[in-house]
Amino acid sequence: MITVLRMLNRGRSRAERVRAWLVAAGAAVAAFLVCTAVSLADFDDEGGSLTGLGLALLAVPVAGLLHQANRLASATRERRLAALRLAGASPGDVRRLGALEGGLLALGGSFGGGVIYVVSHLSGPLLPVPVVVVVVTLGGVVSGARAGRHVVASPLGVVRRVRMRGPRMRDLLLFGMGVGCFVLGAVVKGKFPYVGAYGSVVLMAAGLVLLLFGVTLAATWAIRAHARRVGRRARSAEALLAARLVEADPRAWARALAVVSLTVFFGAMAGAQQAVVGYSQAHALVDVALLVALVTSAVALVVHQAEELIDLRRSFSALAASGVPEGALGGVLVRQAVIAASPVCVVAAVSGVAVVVVTTIDIYQVQWLGWAAGRAVVMAGMGVLAAVLVAVAARPLLRGALSTYVRA
Amino acid sequence: MLEGRGLGKSFGQARALDDVSLTISEGEVVAITGPSGAGKSTLLHCLAGVVRPESGEVLLDGRRIDALPEPESTKVRRESFGVVFQFGELVPELTAVENVALPLLFSRRGRQEAMAAAAEWLARLEVTGCADQRIGELSGGQRQRVAVARALVTGPRVVFADEPTGALDTIGGEQVMSALISAARAGRAAVVLVTHDNRVAAYADREVALRDGSVLAGVQR
Amino acid sequence: MTTGHVLLGFLVERAKHGYELKKEHDHRLAGAKPLAYGQVYATLQRLQRDGLAEVAETRQEGGPERVLYAITENGRAELERWLNAVEPSAPYVASPLFARVAVAGKDADGYLVRQREAHLARMRELTAEKASGSPAQVLAADYALHHLDADLRWIETALARMKEHDDA
Repeated sequence: MITVLRMLNRGRSRAERVRAWLVAAGAAVAAFLVCTAVSLADFDDEGGSLTGLGLALLAVPVAGLLHQANRLASATRERRLAALRLAGASPGDVRRLGALEGGLLALGGSFGGGVIYVVSHLSGPLLPVPVVVVVVTLGGVVSGARAGRHVVASPLGVVRRVRMRGPRMRDLLLFGMGVGCFVLGAVVKGKFPYVGAYGSVVLMAAGLVLLLFGVTLAATWAIRAHARRVGRRARSAEALLAARLVEADPRAWARALAVVSLTVFFGAMAGAQQAVVGYSQAHALVDVALLVALVTSAVALVVHQAEELIDLRRSFSALAASGVPEGALGGVLVRQAVIAASPVCVVAAVSGVAVVVVTTIDIYQVQWLGWAAGRAVVMAGMGVLAAVLVAVAARPLLRGALSTYVRA
Repeated sequence: MLEGRGLGKSFGQARALDDVSLTISEGEVVAITGPSGAGKSTLLHCLAGVVRPESGEVLLDGRRIDALPEPESTKVRRESFGVVFQFGELVPELTAVENVALPLLFSRRGRQEAMAAAAEWLARLEVTGCADQRIGELSGGQRQRVAVARALVTGPRVVFADEPTGALDTIGGEQVMSALISAARAGRAAVVLVTHDNRVAAYADREVALRDGSVLAGVQR
Repeated sequence: MTTGHVLLGFLVERAKHGYELKKEHDHRLAGAKPLAYGQVYATLQRLQRDGLAEVAETRQEGGPERVLYAITENGRAELERWLNAVEPSAPYVASPLFARVAVAGKDADGYLVRQREAHLARMRELTAEKASGSPAQVLAADYALHHLDADLRWIETALARMKEHDDA
């Protein structure tokens, strides 16, 4: 197995190497964030714990990116895995190969992240470091094993990619469960039947995590509905094309925007909270973490954009050959980003504010809502802007993709 | 009307096209034939302004179009040319009628008008039943007829077709070819047809046979 | 014997005159060489001699004598056998095209290019006829087009082989 992996690694393309670096870097960032969070939560101080919670939750989007980088369905990778299957590898072999690759990268990355933490926190507790490294590595193994699952099912499955993947019922269910848990925890508070106040905190935390996944996945529904609406009313070719492209594959957009939506969600949440307790050093730290998360989300979007352009290459270059200007096709990419990102960011911002307001409804004052709403709007705007900037930055990629028929 | 003079093009060491000249008159159907690697597609791409020839020139109504800056070249392609590819190369996310309307929308026509014109073209090519289906749900023959409609909807002077029946069986290919030829004749568009299939080439008024990048000696120029 | 079998096939429906048989032959075997009257009557006489067809009625109403021919039991059996028999799959290559190349050898390339043009011109004619032809004509045109296409592809290969030989 290791021999095969070595053989494959020797022939890796540049894109594959970038992917590997992305996985390792993601693992490093995740490990560092979680270690820092644990060390902060150790101190008996509310501000520190709050920041710690924020950092720990930020590790979720980072882990998401890690998984995305791992499953990055660049055509070459899937073709390679499919070729392995056709050459006689069993589904288990492909899965083990993926797990080994993902695990090794995550191990290297998280080890690096741990080292950075230890160097920067010499006085802090060191016990969590090996635990975090093991957890992140396991995450890499699981994600790597799942990455090639389209190929695992059928060696020919990827030769012709099936599009039109719609939202799934299960996503909405997750979202509903999250809301349910959270509201229940918030309403009963200290009067929780089991283990009192701690029970309700655990319930709320579980609800929050479910909600995070739910929001991400339910975004599929919002994106599709919005795209359909835009498509019906589109007057220009760019808008029509963009809306239909998003409508055909809202899941991919939801996945790519997951990190963006989480960032917006936390940003709005932090904003609503700042209005209550005032801006403190802890909040500044959270904001820095949010900026880091936004950059991470941009990476996720770049990955998605590159993937999408591979899919669109043939039909876009045919359009270019029949006289559609490159600028118009670039406009399609930008419009796609706006169509997909705006519902996601709006929903994320609103639910971020709502989470804080609902839990503190008894003490929340109306005048605080101004700051909260302002922050929410800024966060949503930044989310959409990030998506648009990535689309604008993808112009050179587009030019490359068009060269199928148009060659100077 | 459309003229190529002394066209030459190489890809790396390989000489794809070597001093090829031809003239296409108004409304004429010309087949470019030859075995694979003979330079058929390169010639078509040079004439259609998709590829710039290294030597020689391409003229449309006496005006050179091979050295235009990209925005103007794009404009010529959009206004005067239509293209049909081997696999249609339609946008799979759009319905048949939307695919046909797309060139009109890119030319900044209103949605209503574009959709109506597209529906009319689909009717002319006898693919009305599936106007609102997505491309993936159409048969290969229907797909190619939608591609023909998309190429003709802007009223081009020349339609370029690169192995338009390459992915179809005999009867399906025949339907696409007769649809292409009769629609082009109705719109008085010339057709430049690239094919390696003699039975497809027989739909043309005349043939330009290529061998190793040059016009086959003894065959009409 | 093919013409005889074709005429037998036309007689299955009902008894017919020689004139009718000629008309039907030229219509249904569109694209084949039209049948001469002399050939029709010669063939019918042969069928009669072999007991495959018989005279059903002879009438004379002012004009020339008109004979109505019918198929016999033996004729039906023979027709059935012929319809189900498999044609021998090209046991010999018999074509003036091939014969010329075989005689001229490498010097045939000029001839081949000219023959190619002639074939293509005929294919264009046939393709144009198909657009407005009856189903029988379309079938005949398809048959001719495929055979011309086969010739063209052979010409192509022959030219390539000659070039290969020259280069070597």
